[in-house]
Amino acid sequence: MRGLFEIGGALFAASESHGGGHKETSFVGLMVYLVILFAAIFGTLALAKKGLSERVFKNWFTSRFEQLYLFIDQMCINIIGAHGRQYVPIMVGFWLVIFFSNLISLFFPYAPTMDLGFNLALALISIGYVQYEGIRANGVFGHFSHFAGPKLGVALIPITAMIFVIELISEIMKNVSLSVRIYGNIYGGHEATNAMNDLGSKIIPLGDGGYLGIPFGAFLIPVKLLTCLVQALVFTLLTCVYLSLVTHHDHGDEHDHHQDHAPAGAPAHA
Amino acid sequence: MAGLGLGLAILGIAIGLGLVGYSAMQGMARQPEAIGKMQTAMLIAMAFIELVFLLTAFVLAGQFVQMK
Repeated sequence: MRGLFEIGGALFAASESHGGGHKETSFVGLMVYLVILFAAIFGTLALAKKGLSERVFKNWFTSRFEQLYLFIDQMCINIIGAHGRQYVPIMVGFWLVIFFSNLISLFFPYAPTMDLGFNLALALISIGYVQYEGIRANGVFGHFSHFAGPKLGVALIPITAMIFVIELISEIMKNVSLSVRIYGNIYGGHEATNAMNDLGSKIIPLGDGGYLGIPFGAFLIPVKLLTCLVQALVFTLLTCVYLSLVTHHDHGDEHDHHQDHAPAGAPAHA
Repeated sequence: MAGLGLGLAILGIAIGLGLVGYSAMQGMARQPEAIGKMQTAMLIAMAFIELVFLLTAFVLAGQFVQMK
């Protein structure tokens, strides 16, 4: 983990040294961007709340938020199962924070999701919630025995121990992968826009030594908008998948239970 | 050397993303009613492939800084 942050810091330092100069922001700067983020989220939510009293949602923001809710509701139910609807609030929360923060990166030189620490905090919340739900669904022992893989017998205890260690490492790597994915995509999009702007910075000479440039990077904005959507979607989708992995066990047991009590005439395995 | 590694990583994920898109499109054309499920699985697979490249880029960026 520490090495990862050192590398991330080196990346910032590298972008500083070759003249970009605005990539690094202080703690206060991050807080300013967080204020912008929450102002955007709660402002849009307030606009959407205005239309809630109508029978048919005619307010543009209200209908968009309704579509978002229905989309995430369907996603949770399809991936987690029938009990997935209880996770819709936290999923919508993740989606809104990540998507709005990615949108901020389209308009401002920095954004909360361009900060590796902010993304790591999001990932820790997500994975911590998954662990909490797993312990709530299977109990502490059940949740941790889930890491040890299938029951292999006494002779294969070393294998089980190895699986346990590997699963623990992969559990920690989930945090890294979730955070680095958003960070890399948003930061990389910014770098690509900068590079394309540099490409078009000296197109038309003005005579007095100055140049008139064309901001080629602006043509990347549709692609970046797609990236914003997809990254918010992927984060919530992966959280859903992790949740379904840790909470599906009780349902599987229930299923087997029903099969045990099936009437004798029914086929054993349909 | 780091530049060569970055190029190799890009080559690899280009092939990987191409394979994912190819098979997903083929599946969608064969079974249009399953498009929703396939898109979800395709996005997950693409995110994992992309992550490999991002990790490579992180490690190589550290090496670039060390060289300079």
